[in-house]
Amino acid sequence: MVPRELFPAIAVLTVLYLVVVAFSYWGVRRTKRKIYEKDAEVKRRLYELAILKEISDRTGYSLNIQKILDVIVGSLNQFLEYSAVSYMLLEPSKIVFKADLERSVSTHFIKEIRTRMLGSLTALLGRDLADMEVEETITGAIMIDIIEEPVQSYFNIPLVIGGELVGVLTVSHTKAGLYKESEMEILYKIVNQASQAVTKLEEVVKTEQGKIAAMLESMLEGVVMTDREYHILAANPAAKFVIGYKGEGTPTIFDFIDAFKDLLDIRSKLEEAIKLDKIITVKEVFFSNKYYQIVVSPVKSNVGFTKGEILGGVIIFHDVTHEKEAEKMRNDFTSMMVHELRSPLGNIKKIGEMMRSSKVLEDKQASSEYVSMLYESSSSMLDLVNDLLDVAKLEAGKFAVEKNQENLKEILAERVKFFDTTARDVGVTFKLLMESAVPDSVAIDSKRITQVMNNLFSNAFNYTPKGGMVTALCFMHKKGASLDIEARTMLAPWITDNMSADTALIPDSVVVAVTDTGEGILTENIERLFNKFIQFSSSARDSEHKGTGLGLVIVKGIVEAHGGVIGVGSKRGTGSTFYFTLPL
Amino acid sequence: MTKKILIIDDDKIFSKILRDGLVAGGNGKYEVFSAFDGEEGLQVAERERPDLIMLDMMMPKVTGIDFLKKFRKEEWGKETPVIVETQLSDMEKMSEGIELGVRGYIIKSDYSLDTILRQVEDILK
Repeated sequence: MVPRELFPAIAVLTVLYLVVVAFSYWGVRRTKRKIYEKDAEVKRRLYELAILKEISDRTGYSLNIQKILDVIVGSLNQFLEYSAVSYMLLEPSKIVFKADLERSVSTHFIKEIRTRMLGSLTALLGRDLADMEVEETITGAIMIDIIEEPVQSYFNIPLVIGGELVGVLTVSHTKAGLYKESEMEILYKIVNQASQAVTKLEEVVKTEQGKIAAMLESMLEGVVMTDREYHILAANPAAKFVIGYKGEGTPTIFDFIDAFKDLLDIRSKLEEAIKLDKIITVKEVFFSNKYYQIVVSPVKSNVGFTKGEILGGVIIFHDVTHEKEAEKMRNDFTSMMVHELRSPLGNIKKIGEMMRSSKVLEDKQASSEYVSMLYESSSSMLDLVNDLLDVAKLEAGKFAVEKNQENLKEILAERVKFFDTTARDVGVTFKLLMESAVPDSVAIDSKRITQVMNNLFSNAFNYTPKGGMVTALCFMHKKGASLDIEARTMLAPWITDNMSADTALIPDSVVVAVTDTGEGILTENIERLFNKFIQFSSSARDSEHKGTGLGLVIVKGIVEAHGGVIGVGSKRGTGSTFYFTLPL
Repeated sequence: MTKKILIIDDDKIFSKILRDGLVAGGNGKYEVFSAFDGEEGLQVAERERPDLIMLDMMMPKVTGIDFLKKFRKEEWGKETPVIVETQLSDMEKMSEGIELGVRGYIIKSDYSLDTILRQVEDILK
């Protein structure tokens, strides 16, 4: 037996034990509750994430708030207990009211939430909605009127898109005191996030639309967009310009159909494009002095449920006048070149034929004539081929000069001596003015610079009539001084008319120039001088001044490869000055 | 009786070959004149009243077509047969020449003196 004197101790121990047990029980319960709460919190969090994911998955990039609300409404029962969840959305002409019943309620219940929601909307908006038509949809459980439980628990979440109230979402129950602050908060958060997503998307779409509109406005191509019934939805300024539309607003499709009536049946092309889902390209339409390439194409939706559906048509007017002109120029160039190459070749062949078959060989004088004709024909062909190769190199960027320290003054003097004979033959005075300051040694490709001088001199003599004068000039240029002033201090003739560049900007260089007293060059032809395609056109040549026509194109290339510039000044009836610079 | 042929061509070498070929091939039947552009051609034509003209279509200043138009307006130029010298690439322009009474053509890059002689003989018969 236990001694009596131990009883108090046992009692104390028992009490202590009970206290410990009680405390630990309480502690465990507390922990359990905490765990439970945590669990609930995690569940809510998970739900929140799940529903946001579902919203984004199901609605994609939909801008439709109603669709998003349907997703929320359809899955809210995982998280909240309610009799009905409903939303009301404001549309321009009506109010959409949709309620999803989780359990059966009375019609009166529905009427009540409807009234309450309308009341909230009216209050939030601060305007009367009594006149608006309400489109009602009830889904879920059936309504039974024998259940007369009224709305006991209820809360509203406003729906705001882009800072504007568009509706309310409501959760309601027949039981009282159900919804806690935290639950409301979470639902509010979800709805809010969804609204924000829609807001952002709307902004993106608006920016994109703005960009597209701006792009369309500034496009060089004329663009006209129509719906499936060929009504014009948009026409950019370039499109209006094509048909010379000066009215306000958007032209109608008939403006375009009438403008092109004899050239292109725009209406039937649109019909074909839209009905047969086909892109139609009309290569070339010559309309009011311009060449257009016209593309008629269907416009398809590429988003959402309507993806792939044809929404209408688009007509694009692409002005190809420049391309046409360039093409014509290239063709002219090619045919001229072919002519220039074929003629001497045909002649060479014929000369051979003649010398073989006729008595030419027996006749000393005739045969020497034919031999010199052979020489002339083959030389002119070779010149042309060489020129063409130079131009090809220039265009490919592979034209290189080999610079060495050379005596430029001597080279120039030698050229002048060479052309003296020509000058005497054609009865033209030829002068050389050389400034003593020009250094003896300049880094140049002597062969190429000789080619430049040959070209400029022979041009000058070709275009100077008998009794005229050609002046060759060589001097030092200082940056800041203009070439004509520098030339005039040497009492040399210099023609500045139509000179395009400001010569004072040219860096310190040696300048070589040739001035003639020819008929001068037409202003509009000056800038064409260095264009290979135009040089060949027959109007730029005549029988007196034959050449490959590529000379100046190559001369420019050579001078530029030396780091210099070439320029022309010309006055009708007075003459022309051609100069080139060689930087020091 | 000798027949007069006028060659109007700015290509002096071709003109000379053609002339020599016609003189040699014609065995003295043909008297050949040359002009080097359309303007000169009109002057020589007016002076010599040729029986046949060989005309280059591609000439500076007055082109072959321009020459023909002017030539056909003259009383003495209405009936004269014309053979044009042209390039293959210019054949499309021939329709205009045919309207102006062109009787034949020579492709300049690929001609044979024999063919030309036969053509000339046919026309001048």
